[in-house]
Amino acid sequence: MKKLVITILFLLCVIPVIAQDTTKEKDSIEILEEVQISKHVKKKIETDLKMAVSVDEFLASSTAISFIKRGAYAWEPLLNNMGAERATITIDGMHVFGACTDKMDPITAYVESNNLAAVDVKSGQEGGLNGATVAGSIDLKRKASTFSMQEQWKGAYQTGFEFNNQQLFNLGNVSYANSKWVAEGSISYRKADDYSDGNNTEVAHSQYTKINSSLGFAYKTSPLASVRVDAIFDEAKNVGYPALPMDLWLSRALITSATYKQLFEKGLVKVWDTKVYFNTIEHYMDDTTRPENLVHMDMPGWSTTYGLLSKINIRKNNVASEIQLNAYNNLSIAEMRMYPQDRSERTMFAYSWPWVTTRYAGLSMNNSLDIAEYSELTFGGSLGINYNRSKYIDFNWIFNPGAPQEKTRLLPSLHAGYNVTVKQFNFAVGAGYGHRAPSVSEGYGYYIYNSFDRYDYVGNPNLKNEISYEGNAAASFSSKKLTVQAKVNYFYIQNYIIGRILSLGSPMNYQSVGVKGYTSLDYATLFNFSMNASYAITENLHWKGTLAYARGLDNDGGNLPFIRPLSYQTSLHYKYKAFGFQTAFSGDLEQQHYSPLYGEDLTPAYSILNFSADYSFRIKDFKTVLQVGAENVLNQYYSTYADWGNIPRMGRNIFTSLQIKF
Amino acid sequence: MKIFNLLLGVVLATVVTSCTLEKTDYEAELSEVATDEYVFEQAFLLTSNGYQISVEVLNGTFYKGYNEIHLFITDENNETVQNATVTFLPIRLDANEDAYSCPHAYEVGYQADNQYYLGYAVFDEVSNTNATWEFYLTVTIANETFTLQHGVTVASQPNLNLNMTSFTGNNGVQYYIALIAPVSPGVSENELIAGIYQYNEPQVPIGNFPDPTQFSFSEVQGATLLLDPRMPEPSMGNHSSPNNEDLTQGSDGLYYGVVNYTMTGNWTLNFIFQNEGGAVIKGTEVPTDFTPGITGEKSELHIDILF
Repeated sequence: MKKLVITILFLLCVIPVIAQDTTKEKDSIEILEEVQISKHVKKKIETDLKMAVSVDEFLASSTAISFIKRGAYAWEPLLNNMGAERATITIDGMHVFGACTDKMDPITAYVESNNLAAVDVKSGQEGGLNGATVAGSIDLKRKASTFSMQEQWKGAYQTGFEFNNQQLFNLGNVSYANSKWVAEGSISYRKADDYSDGNNTEVAHSQYTKINSSLGFAYKTSPLASVRVDAIFDEAKNVGYPALPMDLWLSRALITSATYKQLFEKGLVKVWDTKVYFNTIEHYMDDTTRPENLVHMDMPGWSTTYGLLSKINIRKNNVASEIQLNAYNNLSIAEMRMYPQDRSERTMFAYSWPWVTTRYAGLSMNNSLDIAEYSELTFGGSLGINYNRSKYIDFNWIFNPGAPQEKTRLLPSLHAGYNVTVKQFNFAVGAGYGHRAPSVSEGYGYYIYNSFDRYDYVGNPNLKNEISYEGNAAASFSSKKLTVQAKVNYFYIQNYIIGRILSLGSPMNYQSVGVKGYTSLDYATLFNFSMNASYAITENLHWKGTLAYARGLDNDGGNLPFIRPLSYQTSLHYKYKAFGFQTAFSGDLEQQHYSPLYGEDLTPAYSILNFSADYSFRIKDFKTVLQVGAENVLNQYYSTYADWGNIPRMGRNIFTSLQIKF
Repeated sequence: MKIFNLLLGVVLATVVTSCTLEKTDYEAELSEVATDEYVFEQAFLLTSNGYQISVEVLNGTFYKGYNEIHLFITDENNETVQNATVTFLPIRLDANEDAYSCPHAYEVGYQADNQYYLGYAVFDEVSNTNATWEFYLTVTIANETFTLQHGVTVASQPNLNLNMTSFTGNNGVQYYIALIAPVSPGVSENELIAGIYQYNEPQVPIGNFPDPTQFSFSEVQGATLLLDPRMPEPSMGNHSSPNNEDLTQGSDGLYYGVVNYTMTGNWTLNFIFQNEGGAVIKGTEVPTDFTPGITGEKSELHIDILF
């Protein structure tokens, strides 16, 4: 680790020196902008309320995304009320797969807000560009500075302290650009103790420490072409999971890529963008910090992925197309080793992921056709081949005798949408169809303990593809002062994969109560509705409100788990000179449609109030923002529908932060 | 540019190649229990009446439990003798010189394919001051009969997957169950092979020592061995596995079933032994409750294994 940091620092120092030798040339790479097909607004990494947010907090501010939380760290994002296995979560289009069988390391845990520029969320099959999906896609866009005609140094430093869990964070990033070179880097450090809930009781095992750094270099090989290499290194240590019987001792991720980008001034093809990437994750869970546990157990996991993506953007007359080739190879390994009480006895060992290889290759396409000035048709699709192999298929044979060691699946996808603007109104309708392959755990998992419903989960290599049929519609009105938008989508998912209690076998983990096998329901349906409104009361006083509702049912009319009840948020933002004031009130109603079958219980309604104030000023040339605020001002004791083990959320939290930019 | 690539390459190489924790070498771990290479080796050589008799067992060692025994008989010209009649009787003498035997193949038949005479013995005791083992062989070749006697040492079986048990059934009969396979099980479906034998009480008066009628054993015919594997370790809370199959007799007289081991470690094979008519001769049912923290209950008829 030390070596790495030193090397990075060294690199950061050495690059400008080399870079300054290069002569300036006429820059044309800036002039051409990337052809944007999707009309989605990419969100900036900052919420309305809090400027120094974690990636999780940021995602939580989107209505399409909710979270499963097992503690204060590494929340699992749910898109359209569906988990990570139904969504494709990528970093700049790169597939990264977590190495924890308990899904404690979603990809969002391996980035930091100061090396991200935006998060691109697409709902349903529209998000199929990066690979097969049902729920949609979340693409984390890394910061990438552009070449600059003039030599340019930019940087930012952010520090802050949060009182509830004594979280101290320091984030810094710096970039250098000239007409030939770009070099940038970021480094961040967060350390938090246990947090306290609304009853001022400390929630044990909720601490964490995280270091993240990133590095990027770009070089312009010709006026219209550039190469770029990027790396992210992330290390988390001593991360507690209050909802689980064990904690994270150490996780490490290295995410690297090399990109070649070529622009074309003439012809059909406007941009050709190719990237090769490699990432590797190690994730070590153990329970040495839980002396009360009956069994000592280690659960290390490793996930290594390499891949290629190549994209061209085409534009001719009123048609714009994006065609992307994706290919990747992932190897997921997870082990569990239990130690008998008499340590002289032999340990007990099994693979929870028996060396499972996943290979995917697919071609996807998104097109948009401007029919008239105010209407647009988008359509696209993809075709992918998904291949799985379990090296130690013996493990899978215990529950699925004779299952094939290798399995190849074809994953087609289609979608179309129509968008029309009539005066101040905008209407959109869309439909989609797509397959997804079972995830590594669903297909090949072996006694993966789920502390939410307290069952050990076993995969099934013979699961059928999950097939999604979806429809969506949106309507919005916008005037100078008022914006109202309503969105609705409906998924009919055939062969919906979910864990069902098996009459076979008995639990392996001592906390668990039985064994569940991943099986396919005939179908399940999911309905999502959201409404946003914003109103400018005066020039300086703005109001915003959102309302979201979802319902998920299985084929027997039973409730699906992890479906968010009706939730709301209303916020006011007031600006006075260099001061800004925000307040937000948000909550969920009672979770009436909970699913006892999947370990859920009725979660009562809750609402919380947040408040913050900021002051912007300049110290010489530095733009400085100072912020203080409080979350859960009323110190409510609550937990949400998706909190494992009904672990209470954080009570009142006063936060402060300081941001300096140059 | 080159310098970056080089440096970046070095950084990547060091990070990529160095995992903090080493991955488990699963295959090596499995072969740990069966450390010896399992090959037949000569245990001893007898010479008599111009013939050589080479006795081979796995590793050249007799172990407590099931032992497959190969006899190679050659004449003066080093030609294999194919038409000998061979009988085999293992005798154990205790400190009082009382004689006992153990399940064995009395008549040792010739295997033309392998050119040896095939027998077995299921030793129920390790050699010690109270147990001295001797082999008695009677060989008849072309109307010429000679008897051989040789002392052997029976070692304890280091591989618990080849463990055995002996017990008196509720019908008063002495039974023996010896595991034959899997020698090196995996976390998988394993074919479980066992030999089940019984002691036949002598029906005739004692003749000259060693009188085979006094030491008669036979394979139990048509029985069923109901199987319920468990992990007895308290922390495993009476863990079991799915898709196991009870043992039934195959055409070679041995009993075949399927055992699934869900992880490595200590396992107990709990049995209920039923005769041809389905009556229980020995064994009790094991509760299926999940009891973390308590050592798993075992059937009164069980064999412990470890891998």
